[in-house]
Amino acid sequence: MSILRPFKASDMFKFNNINLDIWTETYGIGFYLSYLSRWPDLCCVQEAPSGRMMGYGASSISIRCLHMTVSHHFRKPPVIGKAEGSGAEWHGHVTALTVAPEYRRLSLARKMMGLLEMVSDEIYKGFFVDLYVRCANHVAIDMYEGLGYSVYRRVREYYGSMGIGKGGRDEEDAFDMRKPLSRDPNRRSVRANGRDMVVSAHDVS
Amino acid sequence: MSAALDRQIRPIYDALDTSSNKSAIVACNKLLKKHPKNELIKALKALALVRSQKVEESLILCDEVLDMKPTNDAVLTAMMHVLRGLGRHKDMVLMFEEAYKQQPNNEELGAQTFFANIRAGQWKSAQQIATRMYKQFQEDRYLYWSVISAVLQANDITTPSSMRTLLYKLAHRLTTSSPTPSYQNTDRFHLHLSILRELELYGDAHKLLDSDVGKAICATSLSCNELRRDIWRLRGLSKEEGELAEARIVDKKDRNWLEFLSVLDATFSYLAPSPDPESSSSAQANCSAHVTRSQELFQRIAEEDGQADRSGLLALLELEKRVRSHGLSTDPERLVKLMQQYFEKIGDKACCFEDLKPYLELEENDLAQWTSYSESVSPSFTTNNELRRLINSHKLLRYNLSSSELTVEAEIARVALYIQQYLEGLKLGAHLPSTELQIADDLALLAGSVLVNLWKLTSEEQYLLNAVTLLEFAITKSKQSFQTRLLLIRIYRLLGAPSLALDHYRAMGIKQVQHDTLSHFLLSRASTFSLASTGDLTFITECLESTQIYLSNSQETADFIVRAFTSEKYSQIPEFIAFEDRLDNSLQRDIVKVEHLRMRIAHEPITSDIIDMELIELKFIFDRTHHDNRDFDIIANYQPRALDSINTQTLLFGRKEGLGWLSTFLKLYIRAFQQGSDLDDTVEEKLLIGDRPKQTVDPENHVPLRERLLQRIDEELTELTPEELLFIDYARALADWLEPYHDYTRPPPSVVLAEAAKQTELKTGYPLKGVDLQALNGLTNGHGKKDEEPPAVTEPPELVVKYFDNVKTRFSGVRGSSSPVQALHVATLAQEALLLFTVETLRFKSASVVKVNKLGALVASFKTIRSNAIAVLREISADLVKQSEAEGTADKRKAFVDGCTIVINTDIDHDFALNTAKKVTDARKKVLEGVGKGVGRVCTAYAH
Ligand SMILES: CC(C)(COP(=O)(O)OP(=O)(O)OC[C@H]1O[C@@H](n2cnc3c(N)ncnc32)[C@H](O)[C@@H]1OP(=O)(O)O)[C@@H](O)C(=O)NCCC(=O)NCCS
Repeated sequence: MSILRPFKASDMFKFNNINLDIWTETYGIGFYLSYLSRWPDLCCVQEAPSGRMMGYGASSISIRCLHMTVSHHFRKPPVIGKAEGSGAEWHGHVTALTVAPEYRRLSLARKMMGLLEMVSDEIYKGFFVDLYVRCANHVAIDMYEGLGYSVYRRVREYYGSMGIGKGGRDEEDAFDMRKPLSRDPNRRSVRANGRDMVVSAHDVS
Repeated sequence: MSAALDRQIRPIYDALDTSSNKSAIVACNKLLKKHPKNELIKALKALALVRSQKVEESLILCDEVLDMKPTNDAVLTAMMHVLRGLGRHKDMVLMFEEAYKQQPNNEELGAQTFFANIRAGQWKSAQQIATRMYKQFQEDRYLYWSVISAVLQANDITTPSSMRTLLYKLAHRLTTSSPTPSYQNTDRFHLHLSILRELELYGDAHKLLDSDVGKAICATSLSCNELRRDIWRLRGLSKEEGELAEARIVDKKDRNWLEFLSVLDATFSYLAPSPDPESSSSAQANCSAHVTRSQELFQRIAEEDGQADRSGLLALLELEKRVRSHGLSTDPERLVKLMQQYFEKIGDKACCFEDLKPYLELEENDLAQWTSYSESVSPSFTTNNELRRLINSHKLLRYNLSSSELTVEAEIARVALYIQQYLEGLKLGAHLPSTELQIADDLALLAGSVLVNLWKLTSEEQYLLNAVTLLEFAITKSKQSFQTRLLLIRIYRLLGAPSLALDHYRAMGIKQVQHDTLSHFLLSRASTFSLASTGDLTFITECLESTQIYLSNSQETADFIVRAFTSEKYSQIPEFIAFEDRLDNSLQRDIVKVEHLRMRIAHEPITSDIIDMELIELKFIFDRTHHDNRDFDIIANYQPRALDSINTQTLLFGRKEGLGWLSTFLKLYIRAFQQGSDLDDTVEEKLLIGDRPKQTVDPENHVPLRERLLQRIDEELTELTPEELLFIDYARALADWLEPYHDYTRPPPSVVLAEAAKQTELKTGYPLKGVDLQALNGLTNGHGKKDEEPPAVTEPPELVVKYFDNVKTRFSGVRGSSSPVQALHVATLAQEALLLFTVETLRFKSASVVKVNKLGALVASFKTIRSNAIAVLREISADLVKQSEAEGTADKRKAFVDGCTIVINTDIDHDFALNTAKKVTDARKKVLEGVGKGVGRVCTAYAH
């Protein structure tokens, strides 16, 4: 029970109950505006009848090299700007997905992911959807796995430290997780042993 | 350009990219020796100069380049940054227009000219350029640029409402002239629909939306579907919309609450008002039939979904509420029964209380029944779900407590219960990692809220001490609970322990746009706690940090508006512009500005430079149409509806400052600075670089500034504390008294300009741009010889003379009360009064001014006022320092812990309370001592 509506620039004035949470980063205004200025149909908000924001999700569409040679300790530099090559594929990328603490476990994340996948599939005709998540964020990782995502690779030092200690590597490293869409019926965009594939952050950005 | 030169210029770019402006300037100078006419090097140097705040030098180069009418892309880009840095958006437009005129076939220049107009908010010329580009380059995109420009012009605050429809009609005409239909692109379609809606051409809109393409777009685009829904509603098609919504709910399993609202609206649309009683009774019957249908629908959905989705259950409740309000209810017990059903099913979700809130305003029987149901929830729990259920029942019960149930004894009993259950509940979350929230947190917050209310009821500080001890404990158990921190911040400010509030504020990691919405927690009336007078710049720095976001907004947002044009995301453009405006004209921004000013003048010596700069800035601010973006809802409110919200209860001095407060302080300072300054409007006009803010069509703003400054608006004054009111009256009396002497003594504009020109030349080696000294010299010769006699010196007004004596009485009335905030409030305002006095009398410091204008008697009365002020302030200073000595002692700590009986128990032990006591009394000591000594310093600085 919530209102699903487009994310608007002015929602930045309202998202405190969501963004004060530790797992949710508040970026510069340019971050949100850049997504909205390109993929407004991939940015949505769940709102309570009272008008309070419950959660939001945003994603983008991009082309990235799929067949990069990745090995455990060594990787070749990525081929820059080779977007049009045969290995490049369209895909949707989830950049932010978050639900305010008091509205968790109400299937809101599931629904927003459903919408983002639907638009990536039907409008943008992407091959797969991917996202990054802190390796320490077990709740989210379990959820994504439940939704059909699997780890494609581990990205070293993708995030800055949260300054809460203990978590070590798992705090700074990200899993790149993927789920194939209808245009990839043979599941070529995912693989089984993704957790062992390690790349460094500047190789992916 | 030669390849060699190209290579030599590259390092300049590198230097600029890395903000090494100095080396960029050096490199430019070197190259300019060889290529003295090169416009690119000049432009780059101008940029490096702006970035190193060398405005005068930059202006000269900037104008040189503009005079050369550049068309080269690199030069234009560099100049764009220069002009932006100087705030000269209108000149940027002229530059591009000129370039485009010279190369009318250059499409890129056309686009840049268009964007320059967009950045400057000049929609009308933007629209004309886009139209021209469309004709010339035949790209549909340019047609739509001109359409949206017309729409933007229609919506601009400077556009009279009579023009609105005309502009929308123009936009409509342009849209329909397009050779390709708008539905080929979702955002063009969106724009088209929004124009049709504005013009009430619902039939046309309906046709578009009802087509296959239209339906397909709405199925995937939330924003187009939003418009569609709106248009259906405006057309009075709620029955049809209800049917569609029902289909989506049933067939597509859509659980968007908007669909349910559509079904609800449709259900009651059968009740259309009719004068004929007979048909109205048949309408009622018809509606009742539909109520039954909807009930069945929602019931079915609720059963199907079970706990997976709350829509069906909540829709049943909403339906019953509306049935009641229309007097169609058949079962008086149904509402409460449905609420119970809701609680049964959803009671273990955190949002249950929020969900039920709109239905809680029950009375009599209903209330009694609901209350006894809620009370029956079991107080013991072994699972997370049971705990959440219990917490929800507390929140629900508390919401409906009446004043007779809110006695001190009853509230104390509640705190005890909540704390006991809280500690019990922590055990369930003992294993959670430190990144997770404790479910039991809400019990601590409930207990904290009750303690705040007990303080309100009794004015006894011990309740607040209990609250901070409990909440500090809670934060050790749930480090990420920002709700706990927010409440702590508020209470620490009430307790006069601002440094502890600051610690928690910082721990929340407020960033970016959150500074605008949340910095009020820290900075509201923060000058009360500022130690700037002692050189401690903590709060000043916080003010400056919080305002970074406005800078990023003015630098970045326009770029994204331009981007939205290039990617044709028309639905976003008005949103971005509104966002930019809300941030740019944010109320919080300017409240912080005023607080910053109040702290600044206690720290920096008051000079005519500060007075001039602040005057110009404050006048800009005064003309703004402000938006209040502050987030007050963020702090969770668990107070009963019969009471004020927790936000209101914990406001410092019990007063929320808003537009009225801002306006009052702006008027006060603008008036004082105007009197103290030599800059009148003509001088300011000459000295000011860059564009001025847009003026609204609001007739208020056309009243001359002088009159607006004198307006005393009672409604505004309700936002002020009694102390602030006294200060305002004092300031006004002071300004009224001194005005004639200022006006008489102020040098004529020509003299001021000549002096400014001389200073600029001394400082920068360049003459002041746009000021013709030759012409001025002719004018200055007559200086000093005034035709009129100086105004007769009058006695100072009572309000001024008595102000400081009055302060003394008020201070002794509040000193020594348990929290030091009132004493600090009186003291800091009295200090501000002395500073204001200094601003107002600075001009008469010069012996020659006094002599020439025969104002000796006036200056003599200043002396009396000042020495009285300083005597009073010194007493206050000594008293605060003395109070600070009593803080931070073992006695105070003991008293604190002795008062904490409510929360001290086996888990929150004596040592924990002692530790909190130490922090609180140390923080108080620090602020009392700092403010006390600071007042002393200000006295010394302005003793003569
Ligand atoms: C991760 C997050 C988005 C989940 O949001 P949500 O709306 O609570 O998730 P949903 O209710 O849609 O849950 C979908 C499924 O995920 C799983 N899941 C979600 N949260 C879970 C939790 N705390 N524990 C166990 N399983 C969980 C469940 O299988 C759930 O299905 P179920 O409720 O039917 O059992 C939310 O916890 C959040 O905002 N966290 C902070 C931000 C964040 O980490 N974002 C991800 C960064 S990439």
